[in-house]
Amino acid sequence: MATTDTFAIDQAELEQHVSASVAVENLHKTFASHTVLDGVSLSVSRGETLAVLGRSGTGKSVLLKIIIGLETPDSGSVCIHGQNIAGLAIDRLSEIRKKMGFLFQHAALYDSLTVAGNVAFPLEHHRKDMSRSERSERVKQLLAEVGMEDSFDKLPSDISGGMQKRVGLARALALEPEILLLDEPTAGLDPISSGEIDELVLKLQRERQMASIVVTHDMHSARTIANRLAILDQGNVVIEGSFDDLQRSDIGFVKEFLKQS
Amino acid sequence: MPLVLLAGAAIGVVISLEARYSLSRFGAKSMFPATLVYSVIQVMGPIITGLVVCGRVGAGIGAELASMKVSEQIDAIEASAINPFRLLAATRIAACIVMLPLLTVAADASGLFTGWFAQALVEPLSFHQFISAGFSGATFSAFLPQTFKTAVYGLIIGLIACFQGMNTRGGAEGVGRAATNSVVLGSLFLILADVVLVKFILVFFP
Repeated sequence: MATTDTFAIDQAELEQHVSASVAVENLHKTFASHTVLDGVSLSVSRGETLAVLGRSGTGKSVLLKIIIGLETPDSGSVCIHGQNIAGLAIDRLSEIRKKMGFLFQHAALYDSLTVAGNVAFPLEHHRKDMSRSERSERVKQLLAEVGMEDSFDKLPSDISGGMQKRVGLARALALEPEILLLDEPTAGLDPISSGEIDELVLKLQRERQMASIVVTHDMHSARTIANRLAILDQGNVVIEGSFDDLQRSDIGFVKEFLKQS
Repeated sequence: MPLVLLAGAAIGVVISLEARYSLSRFGAKSMFPATLVYSVIQVMGPIITGLVVCGRVGAGIGAELASMKVSEQIDAIEASAINPFRLLAATRIAACIVMLPLLTVAADASGLFTGWFAQALVEPLSFHQFISAGFSGATFSAFLPQTFKTAVYGLIIGLIACFQGMNTRGGAEGVGRAATNSVVLGSLFLILADVVLVKFILVFFP
């Protein structure tokens, strides 16, 4: 029988989910016979950054792709601003996606377009009210924000991995998203470039107050940019809280993860 | 275009050489122009154009889209709230449908020209005489269905190449597989479609 305390907890969770920009509830996902997500629940509100950590292959990237609708969960729900995106028609899902920006692990820049062309791409399709000069100005502004204003006419193959990530970030911000999803933003980068990306993400977050989810295995990066951290293991969220909460945890996996990071 | 013109030219010469020999054996050399015209426009021109385009364009589309798939560019398009099928596949399929009949006409013209030229080297025959004899008794509309059936070839080539490309998995190996499958499956379905289309044309455009 539900007690008052249970109801209070449920009510608090409900209110958090309703007010959350992104609320993921009891997600399950299996590929062939391999379960990557086994009942994952988490939420992120406006102005918050949640870092999702875990070993390679624990479903972190799959979680992000489910949130933006690139993968479909076997069960569970994903609510964006209170709306469940499961089973939404493509047009409705597209409207929700316009409020989200996604930085892919390897930037996923369109290799036949220049740096400017990549950043302009979402604007050309969704901001037809903008004139060509307005679009060009906006692209310059976005590239300047990420420190890539000198690479306007370069192709993705002409710039380094770290620079591609910056351009990918500029592209993700083109439509002024309310939610930002970052898949391993510092993966494959040297420590200096990683630090620059972290600083950039932190600066953008302070200025834009987006709800952000960062998937990473880089604990230093997670500590720098996130308000809260969640560790995934075997498809479940093992712990969620601040870095201090993680350090205080008695869970063996968490201790081992922190020791190795 | 150069590939298609070259293929058409080769077909024209081959048919010219084979037809001259066969028709001479049966005392029907006067049928040579009509034989060449009908063989090129109704049979060989469309299928050879389709197969050449399948190899060149089908492989290109399959490889390009596969490369985009494995590098997550198609996912990036979808994450930007843009329908990747409408942007990438529909445009390519439409282009194939429109271009195949046009390329077929070019291949036919090339084949007829080189076929006449090969014959003219052996027996003097003006191009005007050749065309008049070849098209005598036939209306222009007699050749339209065979030419426009290549629009169906374009649909097949575009659909198969886009499907193979956009459903690729497995990195560089997957890209190679997508390109190969685009050509192999495209060619196979093209030939099978020709069987159905020929029957369809014979029934509805006798």
